[in-house]
Order: sequence, then C-alpha cells, then structure tokens
Amino acid sequence: MSILTSLLKMRKKKELPIHQEELPDTVEELHSLSLEELKEKVKAEFGSTIDLSMDELKTEGKDALLLYLTTTVDTNLLKETILQSLNGKHDGLELTTEDDLKALCKEKFGGAGYQLIETFDDIITAMLYGNIIIVFKDMEKALSLFMPSNEDRAITEPSTQTVIRGPKDGFVESISTNVSLIRRRIKNRHLRFEKCIIGSETHTSVYIGYMEGISNEKIVQEVRKRLNSIKVHAIFESGNVEELIADKSATPFPLALNTERPDTVAANLLDGKIVILVDGTPFVLLVPAVLVDFFSIAEDYYQNYMMGSFLRIIRYLSFMIALLTPSLYVGILTFHHELLPTQLLLGIIAQREGVPFPAVIEVLIMEVTFEILREAGVRMPRAVGQTVSIVGALVIGQAAAEAGIISNIMVIIVAITAIANFVSPTYSFAAAARLLRFMLIIVSAILGLYGVLIVLVFIVAHLSSLRSFGVPYLSPVAPFIIEEQKDVFFRFPFWSMNQRPSYLKTGKPDKMPKTGSPSPPPIKGEGAN
Amino acid sequence: MKKITAIAILTLASFLLTGCWDQKELSKITVVTGMAVDKGENEKYVLAVEGINATELNKQTASGFAPSIVYETEGNSLSELTYKVNEGISRHLIYSHMRTLIIGEELAKEGIIDFIDFLERNREIRDDFNILVARGARGSDILRVTYQFQKSPSLKLHTQLDTMKKDWGGDPGVRMNDVIMAWTSSGRQPVMAAVSIQGDPEKGVSSDNMKKVTPDALVVLDSLAIFKKDRLAGYLSLEDSRNYLWIQDKIIKTSLTVKCAEDRYMGIRVYDTKTKIKGDMQGGQPKIDINIRAEAYVDGTQCNNQFDQAKTYKEYNHSAEKHLEKIISGTIKKVQNEYGTDIFGFGEVVQRRDYKNYKKVEHNWDEKFAEADVQVNTTVILRRTGIRTKSFLPEVK
Repeated sequence: MSILTSLLKMRKKKELPIHQEELPDTVEELHSLSLEELKEKVKAEFGSTIDLSMDELKTEGKDALLLYLTTTVDTNLLKETILQSLNGKHDGLELTTEDDLKALCKEKFGGAGYQLIETFDDIITAMLYGNIIIVFKDMEKALSLFMPSNEDRAITEPSTQTVIRGPKDGFVESISTNVSLIRRRIKNRHLRFEKCIIGSETHTSVYIGYMEGISNEKIVQEVRKRLNSIKVHAIFESGNVEELIADKSATPFPLALNTERPDTVAANLLDGKIVILVDGTPFVLLVPAVLVDFFSIAEDYYQNYMMGSFLRIIRYLSFMIALLTPSLYVGILTFHHELLPTQLLLGIIAQREGVPFPAVIEVLIMEVTFEILREAGVRMPRAVGQTVSIVGALVIGQAAAEAGIISNIMVIIVAITAIANFVSPTYSFAAAARLLRFMLIIVSAILGLYGVLIVLVFIVAHLSSLRSFGVPYLSPVAPFIIEEQKDVFFRFPFWSMNQRPSYLKTGKPDKMPKTGSPSPPPIKGEGAN
Repeated sequence: MKKITAIAILTLASFLLTGCWDQKELSKITVVTGMAVDKGENEKYVLAVEGINATELNKQTASGFAPSIVYETEGNSLSELTYKVNEGISRHLIYSHMRTLIIGEELAKEGIIDFIDFLERNREIRDDFNILVARGARGSDILRVTYQFQKSPSLKLHTQLDTMKKDWGGDPGVRMNDVIMAWTSSGRQPVMAAVSIQGDPEKGVSSDNMKKVTPDALVVLDSLAIFKKDRLAGYLSLEDSRNYLWIQDKIIKTSLTVKCAEDRYMGIRVYDTKTKIKGDMQGGQPKIDINIRAEAYVDGTQCNNQFDQAKTYKEYNHSAEKHLEKIISGTIKKVQNEYGTDIFGFGEVVQRRDYKNYKKVEHNWDEKFAEADVQVNTTVILRRTGIRTKSFLPEVK
C-alpha cells in the first residue's frame, strides 16, 4: 500500500498546471450596453451554436430582448406564458424605473420564481442553467425566469438495491426530482439543502443535505470544505465526487455509501448522516460511512426483526465466503490435506485425477473466466444477452469439467463465490471482496493458510486505519460501543433502537423516548383480584 | 524512496523465497490410511503401507480395480522406511490421514516400544489412530483383505471398531495416546484390540473378494490383546474385552443376556452406566472396590413373567446384578490368574488413594495385582420394557 501512495505522490509532483476557465477581469454592468451591443456580445460569447435564440419583442411600448438556449428551456411553457402575457401587450404600465420593472414582474410572473439580474456574466450563466432572460431597453436589470426543459426519466424502481418489501421508487438523473423525493419522506423544517457548483467546465450542481440540529455541524462543515476545495474540470457522477472527498484513496473499500433509494437516504439523514446529491446521476452519497452500513439495507427495518437479523448475518457470511472460498480451497488442497475429512479428501482426489493444472492455476483460470463472463454480461448489448448466458453456463459448468481442465468441485467453488459476491447490497463494497480475493489466492498458493491469515490480519489492520470524515471505519465494532450493537450483526426490534449512532456525535442522541415493547392493554378486572 | 524500495524488496523476498516448501499438489499424492509393522527377516522391521486409490473409492469414477495398493519394505527404522516406500509407489505419500496401525503378532511378542516414538514424533501422523494386533497373522496380510463398503481394509476397520464400540463395546477404543499413557503411567499395562482374518487370506487380496455375498476372506475383530510392558502377553475373549471397557467406565451402550429360568434367557440393553473404582492397601494387600451402576431396559424375554408387577422388576434387577457381578469378576480373576498384568489400571487408583503404601509395592505391583482382593458391587435398574408391558407368551394357545 505504501508503494502505491508513493507512486501517487510522484504523479502529483509532475502534474501540469490545470486549465482554468479565465474569468473576466471586470464585471460588466447591463446599463452600459444597448440592446444591439448586448446581442452582439451574447453572440460572440456563444458563437455559432444552433440552439441560441435571441428574439426581439415589444411590451408596454418598450423594446425588449428575449434570450435563451432552445435546448435547455421548455419551449411550450415559454410560448404559453411569456408570449401571451408580454408580447405586444399594453396594460398601461410605465417601464422606466427599476420599480416599474418590479411591478411588472409582480403582476405578470408573481409566484413563478423570477429573478432580477444585472451583470452580463449572470445572464450567460442563467441561460446555461435553463433560464429565459428578458432584457428591457435602457433598464439596469434583466428579468430571469427558470423554465428548464423537463426531459427527465420517469421515476422507476432502482436497478440496484432492490427490495421485496419497501418503497419501489428510485432516484433519477434530475437533482430537483431527487430532492423532492427526499422532502416527500421527511416533512421537516430542519431539513436543509445547500448548493455548490463543481467542475470548472461542467458547472455541475452538487447539493449537500442534512438535518439541522441532528447532524454534527463539524462534519457538515468538513463536507462543505471538501466539496468547495474540489478543483476539477468535470463531474459526471457521484463516483467522481466520492473519490475526490474520500479520506484516503489507497483503499479498495468505499468510504462513502452510495444508494439509489430515497428511503435509505431519509433514514440515514435522520440518523445524522449527510447526503451529497450530484446532478445527472441517480446515485447519491451518504457520509460518514462505516463498514456496517454496507451490510444493512432498508428492508432489514421493514420486515420482522428476526428475519432482518438472520439476513444480515447471511450477508456477513456471504462476504466472508466471497472473499475466502477460493483461497481456502487452494490452501487446503496444496498445503493442509489433514484438515479435510478422509472421505472428502479422497473424493476430491478422485475428481482431480487427470486435471493437468495445480490447484492455484485451476482456481485462477476459473475465477478470471468468471470475471470475464460477468463483465461481458454487464457490457453486452441487451439483444445478445441470451448468448452470453448459454456460453457462460457451458464454459463455467459442465464443459470445462468434462474436458478435464478443471475438477467438478471447482465449479462449486466458483459458483458459491460468485453467488455470495452478489449478496452484497452495495456494489462498490462487493468490488473490494472481488479484488482482495485474487490477492488471497496468490498468497495462499505460496504460503498456504498461514498466508491467508497474514493477509487477513493486514486487511483488518487496514480497515481499522480507515476513517470516513473522521469517523473510524470499523465503529461501532472497533472502537467497540456496546449500545450500538443493536444494529450491527443483529437488527433489534424497532422500539428498542431509540438512539442515534453515537459515533456520529449527533446533536440529538435520542431518536425517540424509551417506550418499551408494545404490549396488550391490561385485562379488565384483573387489578381487582 | 530508497527506504520504501528496500521494504518492498524485503517483503516480496520473504514471500517468494520462503513459501511452497511443504506444498504438495493433490494430483501428486497418495493418501495412506493404514500401516502395518511386522518383524523383518534380515532387518528389524517390515513396514507395509496401504495407499488409497481414490478413484476406486468414488462411485462415479470407480472402474473395478483394486481400491488400494499395499507395499512392503524392510529396514531398521520406520522413519526411513516411510520415505523409502517410494521405491515401489509412484506418488508422494501423505500420512496425515492414517487411521489404523496393525502390529504383526510376531513383532508384538518381541516388543514394540522401539518404533512408537517415531509415530508420536512425526509431524504428519496423528496420534489418535487405532492401534491393533494381528492375531495369528502378519499385519500386512490384514491390510490386504478387501471389503464391500469401505473397500479399503484400514478404513473398514476404523469404521467397524467405532461402530462396535458404540453398540456393544468389544473394541477397547485404544488409540496410540492410550498406549503411551499406559506405558508411562505406573500401575497400568496397555491393551489393544486384536483382529484376525476369517477365511482364506490368499483370496482376500483381490477385488473379486468384494463381489461375493460372503467374502472369501474377512477381517474380524477377534479379541483383546493384553500386554506386559511392550510385549504381547496373551489374548482375552471379546466378552472379556467388553467387561474390560465396563471396568474402565468406557461403555456407551451394551447388551447382556441374563438367565431368567432354566434354559431361558432375557436380553437387556444397557443404555446408561457408571463405574467407580476405589482401592487402597490393606495389610500389604491391595483392596479394590468396583461399583457399577447401570440403567437398562428389557429387550426381549423368553420367560413368562409379566412386567406389570413391581416384583418382577425387582427379581430381574437382582438376577441381572448377579450376572453382571459374575462376568466382571470372572474377567478380573482370569487376568489376575493367567497373566498377572494390571490392564485395568488398579495401580493408578491405589496410587491416588493410598500413595505411601503404593510406593512400597510399586516395583512389583503386577505381583500384588495378582493377589488383589477385588470386590464388585453392581446395581442394575430396569427402567422400561420396550413397547410391550405384557408378553404374548402366556397367552399362546
């Protein structure tokens, strides 16, 4: 790991100065420009782009210029509102002073969310975000109306993190829809969203959401600080942000929880976590994230707590299976024959009779084959899906065993590893197990189970060194917090989980008053006896 | 940067230069499940190992060849022989799954202590395998007799001895540990189960033997071999072997046949039993008290007595107690008179309870054992009578 860090540092030294968009030296006020000049300037700014529209119109006997980008605004809405209410109308309003403009806006667009802007740069920016700008002749301020085109995907069931019982709506690419999905769940005046713009070229909106009074103010401040210090040219996905604000980059483990589910976000917000939404992606980030977050899902809390606990244990077990099975297979078969029951050992020997490769090569062949198939399954065009599954079943399954390249038991090992890996509710966490698995296989082939143990010790040491926004990654297991164990390996009944995670240092430690277990009302007359 | 490179090189070196030394690919090994040691003609020992042909033990891949290979080689130390066996066997042998060690009768009579050290010291061989004496046969012959179910003779014996011990108690359940403990403890002599070949050993070597309903040759649990130090002193019957286990409090379950009338018997199944031994020196002579308490149910009766009356139980309890006392003290007397070797560990008991006096007779304990006054007290409680209370016998018209 240290080699990796040093390599990364070396990169940094050679780094070239990044291209920064040059900001204009002086702020150009509107009143210094005539409509014609303005038109020329806007044209110069956008060049020959086809979606620039600069129409002239006349309202209340005054010339005006209507500026927008046809591809970012809702043109139907534009026709309905602006053209009907403004163009060529004579409602007897004077338009000479700023107050007149305000009065006009009040009358025509009251409640439509208009803004008055006064610099040239603001006009350009507003246009890019989907605003319509109306500049009146000889006026110091221009009117900006937010009318973005609604070319969004409908809210659908999330494609990852699916549940059997629970809400079926998922986030979409539009950030405002996503915020509304969260608001719909938390009708609370303390829910705050803050905006910042990241990406010197893309100007992507990134929102920070938190519960005022519950979330730790210091962590919120830290999130703000880290987001504001991002100096990249483009942000397309929350993964970009995640990588840039993580406490440590030399780790296969994700340091922020990503989810497509609004209910997960709402529950975590109320626990005191902070949500980061990025425009243009349905995946939102939750920080600070700890290891146990990646093993609990929303559905744990929607079904019976016994079942919830059972499934959670299954998830931990699956992670261990996905991580360790192939390396244990290699280790036991090449070093520790005495660990197997005699009958099983003889069975495996009989199956491996005639397999030309050592166990480690066999495992690597199959694991790599599986990874190839899996990648093909994700990337292929939907139309050829069936081909991949048929060929995959042949390659992984029978054929390989029958051809004598691998043994039958290897098919079981690959299958259980693969299936166990899919159990992980968060894709990015399962990826860690996928990577470490190969490391374990190699070490196990050299040193046997002793090597597996060494790597596991390293992994645990590494995990305990991780922090997510200052919160130890292994909390509440290490540091061990006894009260938090209600929601780690088991999911205790809902009424008993009345406290927020203490490692988040929230403003309100109690979620709800201690009510105790629900019980039937006392039977009448029982007290009398 | 230099420091990091140095650390990286050291880490890689420690991995790449140290690993793999005990790596053995499965396709290059043969599992040894049984071992037989006999007296050699020219040199001290003949070691026979039974290497399993795993393909034959797997139902899907079996094709009717011999389930195992037995190869013999002669030499003076077992440790060398275990590697020298490769003069005849192609693959690397692993001994970690060894289940059975068979000692030839001839060698057992001359003493076995010399090679046991190797078995205990070796890092591969476990210390909990069965240790047996081949009665009237060479140990390697026992390893050659095939069998239908487990196919390999050593695996067959391992399973069989276990089953026997759980159901009836004929196998003393002696592992190498027990033998070594008996040797190192003052006041106890080791025992081992003895096996013999029933039928023709010559015909047992072929896999054809497995194809017959009644095999031409079969390895049977024969008796209990008793030792004086490391030398075979003689054999006790299987019945005595069970009684030996009873005195050792090692019976899990067993059955007794008790006489209930003239030429009529009753079978009782003992399912819970506890033995306590007390002993001390009285006037220079050991005095041993054995208390056996057993719970049992009636498993079949040839007598007409009815089990709906309490007195029937009392009667039967009493006759079972007498019977048990008789067979137990019979076994002890036989050992005292014929062999004079303390296989029961009475010496250990006396040593614990009467240390000073024991120390005086420790050097000739076995003689004292032969003179010991052994009292056997038994309590048998019949709890149940199967799924019938009244027998149909009196109603037979």
